[in-house]
Amino acid sequence: MHASAVICGTARVASEPFETIVRRREAQVLRIAFRILGNWADAEDVAQETFLRLHRHGTGFRDEAALGSWLYRVTVNLCFDRTRAAKPAAEMPELQAQAISAESSVIREQAKEKLMAALAMLPAKERAAVVLREIEGLTTAEVAGVLGSSEVTVRSQISRAMARLRGVLRREEV
Amino acid sequence: MTEEEIRGLFREMREDSVPADSLARVRMRVAERTAARRGWKLAVWVLAPLCLLMLAVALRSPAPPLRIELPALPPVRVAPAVVQSRPRHVVRRPKPPMLIRIETPDPEVVILLVGN
Repeated sequence: MHASAVICGTARVASEPFETIVRRREAQVLRIAFRILGNWADAEDVAQETFLRLHRHGTGFRDEAALGSWLYRVTVNLCFDRTRAAKPAAEMPELQAQAISAESSVIREQAKEKLMAALAMLPAKERAAVVLREIEGLTTAEVAGVLGSSEVTVRSQISRAMARLRGVLRREEV
Repeated sequence: MTEEEIRGLFREMREDSVPADSLARVRMRVAERTAARRGWKLAVWVLAPLCLLMLAVALRSPAPPLRIELPALPPVRVAPAVVQSRPRHVVRRPKPPMLIRIETPDPEVVILLVGN
Protein backbone atom coordinates (compact mmCIF):
# COMPACT_ATOMS: atom_id res chain seq x y z
CA MET A 1 0.00 0.00 0.00
CA HIS A 2 1.35 3.42 -0.87
CA ALA A 3 2.19 5.45 2.19
CA SER A 4 0.36 8.58 1.06
CA ALA A 5 -2.74 6.52 0.55
CA VAL A 6 -2.37 5.31 4.10
CA ILE A 7 -1.92 8.80 5.51
CA CYS A 8 -4.82 10.22 3.54
CA GLY A 9 -7.07 7.26 4.27
CA THR A 10 -10.59 7.11 5.50
CA ALA A 11 -12.01 7.37 8.97
CA ARG A 12 -12.20 3.65 9.57
CA VAL A 13 -9.67 3.65 12.39
CA ALA A 14 -11.97 5.09 15.01
CA SER A 15 -13.51 1.80 16.08
CA GLU A 16 -10.70 -0.54 15.07
CA PRO A 17 -9.24 -2.75 17.80
CA PHE A 18 -5.58 -2.44 18.68
CA GLU A 19 -4.63 -5.91 17.39
CA THR A 20 -6.07 -5.15 13.96
CA ILE A 21 -4.09 -1.93 13.71
CA VAL A 22 -0.91 -3.78 14.68
CA ARG A 23 -1.46 -6.41 11.98
CA ARG A 24 -2.23 -3.78 9.38
CA ARG A 25 0.69 -1.50 10.20
CA GLU A 26 3.45 -3.73 11.56
CA ALA A 27 5.21 -4.31 8.24
CA GLN A 28 5.19 -0.60 7.44
CA VAL A 29 6.56 0.44 10.85
CA LEU A 30 9.20 -2.30 10.78
CA ARG A 31 10.28 -1.39 7.25
CA ILE A 32 10.71 2.31 8.05
CA ALA A 33 12.67 1.51 11.20
CA PHE A 34 14.90 -0.86 9.25
CA ARG A 35 15.55 1.68 6.51
CA ILE A 36 16.59 4.30 9.06
CA LEU A 37 18.49 2.04 11.47
CA GLY A 38 19.97 -0.41 8.99
CA ASN A 39 19.45 -3.60 10.99
CA TRP A 40 16.45 -5.76 11.79
CA ALA A 41 17.16 -6.29 15.50
CA ASP A 42 17.00 -2.57 16.28
CA ALA A 43 14.08 -2.15 13.89
CA GLU A 44 12.14 -4.82 15.78
CA ASP A 45 12.78 -3.04 19.10
CA VAL A 46 11.58 0.26 17.64
CA ALA A 47 8.49 -1.33 16.11
CA GLN A 48 7.64 -3.00 19.41
CA GLU A 49 8.05 0.26 21.34
CA THR A 50 5.98 2.13 18.74
CA PHE A 51 3.05 -0.25 19.17
CA LEU A 52 3.33 -0.24 22.95
CA ARG A 53 3.10 3.54 22.84
CA LEU A 54 0.09 3.22 20.58
CA HIS A 55 -1.48 0.90 23.15
CA ARG A 56 -0.86 3.42 25.94
CA HIS A 57 -2.04 6.31 23.76
CA GLY A 58 -5.17 4.50 22.67
CA THR A 59 -6.52 3.95 19.20
CA GLY A 60 -9.04 6.75 19.21
CA PHE A 61 -7.68 8.66 16.24
CA ARG A 62 -10.07 10.81 14.29
CA ASP A 63 -9.14 9.09 11.02
CA GLU A 64 -6.60 6.91 9.27
CA ALA A 65 -4.46 9.91 8.36
CA ALA A 66 -4.06 10.91 11.98
CA LEU A 67 -3.08 7.37 12.92
CA GLY A 68 -0.60 7.13 10.03
CA SER A 69 0.97 10.45 10.88
CA TRP A 70 1.22 9.51 14.58
CA LEU A 71 2.86 6.16 13.77
CA TYR A 72 5.39 7.73 11.40
CA ARG A 73 6.28 10.42 13.93
CA VAL A 74 6.76 8.00 16.83
CA THR A 75 8.72 5.50 14.73
CA VAL A 76 11.05 8.15 13.34
CA ASN A 77 11.59 9.76 16.76
CA LEU A 78 12.40 6.39 18.33
CA CYS A 79 14.87 5.76 15.50
CA PHE A 80 16.44 9.17 16.16
CA ASP A 81 16.80 8.27 19.83
CA ARG A 82 18.63 5.11 18.84
CA THR A 83 20.90 6.78 16.29
CA ARG A 84 21.66 9.84 18.45
CA ALA A 85 24.43 8.08 20.33
CA ALA A 86 25.74 6.18 17.31
CA LYS A 87 27.52 8.14 14.60
CA PRO A 88 26.66 7.43 10.98
CA ALA A 89 28.89 4.90 9.29
CA ALA A 90 32.08 6.51 8.08
CA GLU A 91 32.68 3.94 5.42
CA MET A 92 30.57 1.74 3.25
CA PRO A 93 29.90 -1.44 5.21
CA GLU A 94 31.20 -4.63 3.72
CA LEU A 95 28.45 -6.16 1.69
CA GLN A 96 27.75 -9.84 1.87
CA ALA A 97 29.75 -11.67 -0.73
CA GLN A 98 27.45 -12.90 -3.47
CA ALA A 99 28.20 -14.91 -6.50
CA ILE A 100 28.43 -12.50 -9.40
CA SER A 101 25.70 -13.38 -11.77
CA ALA A 102 24.65 -11.92 -15.03
CA GLU A 103 21.07 -11.98 -13.99
CA SER A 104 19.66 -8.51 -13.69
CA SER A 105 17.70 -9.24 -10.53
CA VAL A 106 20.88 -10.10 -8.67
CA ILE A 107 22.52 -6.94 -9.98
CA ARG A 108 19.52 -4.92 -8.83
CA GLU A 109 19.68 -6.53 -5.41
CA GLN A 110 23.37 -5.70 -5.13
CA ALA A 111 22.68 -2.12 -6.19
CA LYS A 112 19.98 -1.89 -3.53
CA GLU A 113 22.35 -3.20 -0.89
CA LYS A 114 24.94 -0.63 -1.93
CA LEU A 115 22.33 2.08 -1.78
CA MET A 116 21.22 0.97 1.69
CA ALA A 117 24.82 1.00 2.84
CA ALA A 118 25.27 4.51 1.44
CA LEU A 119 22.04 5.56 3.14
CA ALA A 120 23.48 4.43 6.47
CA MET A 121 26.25 7.01 6.05
CA LEU A 122 23.83 9.94 5.99
CA PRO A 123 22.98 11.99 9.08
CA ALA A 124 19.84 10.68 10.79
CA LYS A 125 17.55 13.56 9.77
CA GLU A 126 18.54 13.40 6.12
CA ARG A 127 18.19 9.62 6.17
CA ALA A 128 14.71 9.86 7.66
CA ALA A 129 13.68 12.49 5.12
CA VAL A 130 14.87 10.31 2.23
CA VAL A 131 13.24 7.17 3.64
CA LEU A 132 9.90 8.88 4.14
CA ARG A 133 9.90 10.84 0.89
CA GLU A 134 11.61 8.51 -1.56
CA ILE A 135 10.93 5.04 -0.19
CA GLU A 136 7.66 5.44 1.69
CA GLY A 137 6.36 7.92 -0.87
CA LEU A 138 5.07 10.60 1.50
CA THR A 139 4.65 14.10 0.17
CA THR A 140 7.10 16.80 1.21
CA ALA A 141 4.43 18.38 3.43
CA GLU A 142 3.76 15.06 5.14
CA VAL A 143 7.47 14.47 5.71
CA ALA A 144 7.76 17.97 7.17
CA GLY A 145 4.84 17.19 9.49
CA VAL A 146 6.43 13.94 10.66
CA LEU A 147 9.87 15.46 11.19
CA GLY A 148 8.51 18.65 12.72
CA SER A 149 10.28 20.91 10.25
CA SER A 150 9.36 23.09 7.31
CA GLU A 151 8.89 21.90 3.74
CA VAL A 152 11.86 24.02 2.65
CA THR A 153 14.07 22.26 5.18
CA VAL A 154 12.87 18.85 4.00
CA ARG A 155 13.54 19.71 0.35
CA SER A 156 17.00 20.91 1.21
CA GLN A 157 17.70 17.81 3.32
CA ILE A 158 16.60 15.51 0.50
CA SER A 159 18.60 17.42 -2.08
CA ARG A 160 21.74 17.29 0.10
CA ALA A 161 21.16 13.61 0.83
CA MET A 162 20.78 12.73 -2.85
CA ALA A 163 24.00 14.57 -3.69
CA ARG A 164 25.83 12.66 -0.94
CA LEU A 165 24.39 9.34 -2.10
CA ARG A 166 25.48 10.02 -5.66
CA GLY A 167 28.96 10.89 -4.45
CA VAL A 168 29.31 7.78 -2.30
CA LEU A 169 28.00 5.47 -5.01
CA ARG A 170 30.24 7.09 -7.63
CA ARG A 171 33.27 6.46 -5.44
CA GLU A 172 32.15 2.85 -5.09
CA GLU A 173 31.91 2.42 -8.84
CA VAL A 174 35.42 3.70 -9.43
CA MET B 1 24.62 5.86 -10.60
CA THR B 2 22.39 8.79 -11.55
CA GLU B 3 19.74 10.41 -9.39
CA GLU B 4 17.03 8.81 -11.49
CA GLU B 5 18.52 5.37 -10.98
CA ILE B 6 18.73 6.00 -7.25
CA ARG B 7 15.09 7.09 -7.15
CA GLY B 8 14.16 4.00 -9.18
CA LEU B 9 15.87 1.75 -6.67
CA PHE B 10 14.11 3.54 -3.81
CA ARG B 11 10.77 2.96 -5.49
CA GLU B 12 11.58 -0.73 -5.81
CA MET B 13 12.47 -0.86 -2.13
CA ARG B 14 8.93 0.28 -1.36
CA GLU B 15 7.71 -3.16 -2.35
CA ASP B 16 10.40 -5.08 -0.48
CA SER B 17 8.97 -7.63 1.88
CA VAL B 18 9.68 -7.66 5.57
CA PRO B 19 11.11 -10.89 7.03
CA ALA B 20 8.26 -12.97 8.43
CA ASP B 21 10.20 -13.93 11.55
CA SER B 22 10.80 -10.26 12.40
CA LEU B 23 7.10 -9.55 12.03
CA ALA B 24 6.22 -12.55 14.18
CA ARG B 25 8.66 -11.50 16.89
CA VAL B 26 7.28 -7.96 17.02
CA ARG B 27 3.69 -9.22 17.10
CA MET B 28 4.46 -11.72 19.86
CA ARG B 29 6.35 -9.23 22.04
CA VAL B 30 3.66 -6.58 21.64
CA ALA B 31 0.95 -9.11 22.49
CA GLU B 32 2.84 -10.24 25.62
CA ARG B 33 3.43 -6.73 26.89
CA THR B 34 -0.09 -5.52 26.18
CA ALA B 35 -1.57 -8.62 27.84
CA ALA B 36 0.43 -7.86 30.97
CA ARG B 37 -0.76 -4.28 30.88
CA ARG B 38 -4.32 -5.43 30.34
CA GLY B 39 -4.05 -7.66 33.42
CA TRP B 40 -3.03 -4.68 35.54
CA LYS B 41 -5.73 -2.55 33.99
CA LEU B 42 -8.34 -5.21 34.78
CA ALA B 43 -7.14 -5.44 38.36
CA VAL B 44 -7.36 -1.68 38.73
CA TRP B 45 -10.82 -1.61 37.15
CA VAL B 46 -12.02 -4.28 39.55
CA LEU B 47 -10.29 -3.08 42.69
CA ALA B 48 -10.83 0.65 42.34
CA PRO B 49 -14.67 0.53 42.33
CA LEU B 50 -14.55 -2.00 45.15
CA CYS B 51 -12.42 0.34 47.25
CA LEU B 52 -14.67 3.27 46.41
CA LEU B 53 -17.72 1.26 47.34
CA MET B 54 -16.23 0.26 50.67
CA LEU B 55 -15.24 3.85 51.34
CA ALA B 56 -18.71 5.10 50.46
CA VAL B 57 -20.33 2.53 52.73
CA ALA B 58 -17.99 3.44 55.54
CA LEU B 59 -18.72 7.14 55.15
CA ARG B 60 -22.48 7.03 54.60
CA SER B 61 -23.66 4.69 57.35
CA PRO B 62 -21.74 5.25 60.54
CA ALA B 63 -22.10 2.56 63.18
CA PRO B 64 -25.09 3.19 65.58
CA PRO B 65 -24.01 4.60 68.92
CA LEU B 66 -23.72 1.94 71.59
CA ARG B 67 -26.50 2.24 74.17
CA ILE B 68 -26.28 0.50 77.50
CA GLU B 69 -29.45 0.33 79.50
CA LEU B 70 -28.60 0.73 83.16
CA PRO B 71 -31.05 -0.04 86.01
CA ALA B 72 -32.45 3.04 87.63
CA LEU B 73 -30.28 4.03 90.46
CA PRO B 74 -31.71 5.44 93.68
CA PRO B 75 -31.41 9.15 93.82
CA VAL B 76 -28.15 10.18 95.18
CA ARG B 77 -28.41 12.10 98.37
CA VAL B 78 -25.91 14.67 98.71
CA ALA B 79 -24.57 14.78 102.18
CA PRO B 80 -24.21 18.20 103.60
CA ALA B 81 -20.77 19.38 103.40
CA VAL B 82 -18.89 18.69 106.52
CA VAL B 83 -16.95 21.62 107.65
CA GLN B 84 -14.00 20.43 109.41
CA SER B 85 -13.37 22.54 112.39
CA ARG B 86 -9.99 23.18 113.66
CA PRO B 87 -9.02 21.02 116.54
CA ARG B 88 -9.70 22.97 119.58
CA HIS B 89 -7.05 23.55 122.05
CA VAL B 90 -8.35 21.57 124.97
CA VAL B 91 -7.02 22.23 128.39
CA ARG B 92 -7.18 19.09 130.25
CA ARG B 93 -7.75 19.34 133.90
CA PRO B 94 -5.94 16.84 136.05
CA LYS B 95 -8.34 14.17 137.22
CA PRO B 96 -8.45 13.53 140.96
CA PRO B 97 -6.55 10.38 141.87
CA MET B 98 -8.66 7.25 142.34
CA LEU B 99 -8.94 6.33 146.00
CA ILE B 100 -9.99 2.88 147.15
CA ARG B 101 -10.62 2.47 150.80
CA ILE B 102 -10.59 -1.03 152.23
CA GLU B 103 -11.67 -1.40 155.80
CA THR B 104 -10.35 -4.21 157.88
CA PRO B 105 -12.03 -5.88 160.88
CA ASP B 106 -9.82 -3.79 163.03
CA PRO B 107 -11.35 -0.38 163.07
CA GLU B 108 -7.98 1.06 163.62
CA VAL B 109 -6.62 -0.39 160.37
CA VAL B 110 -7.86 1.00 157.05
CA ILE B 111 -6.16 0.25 153.76
CA LEU B 112 -6.17 3.05 151.24
CA LEU B 113 -5.23 2.38 147.62
CA VAL B 114 -4.46 5.39 145.50
CA GLY B 115 -4.24 5.08 141.73
CA ASN B 116 -4.04 7.35 138.68
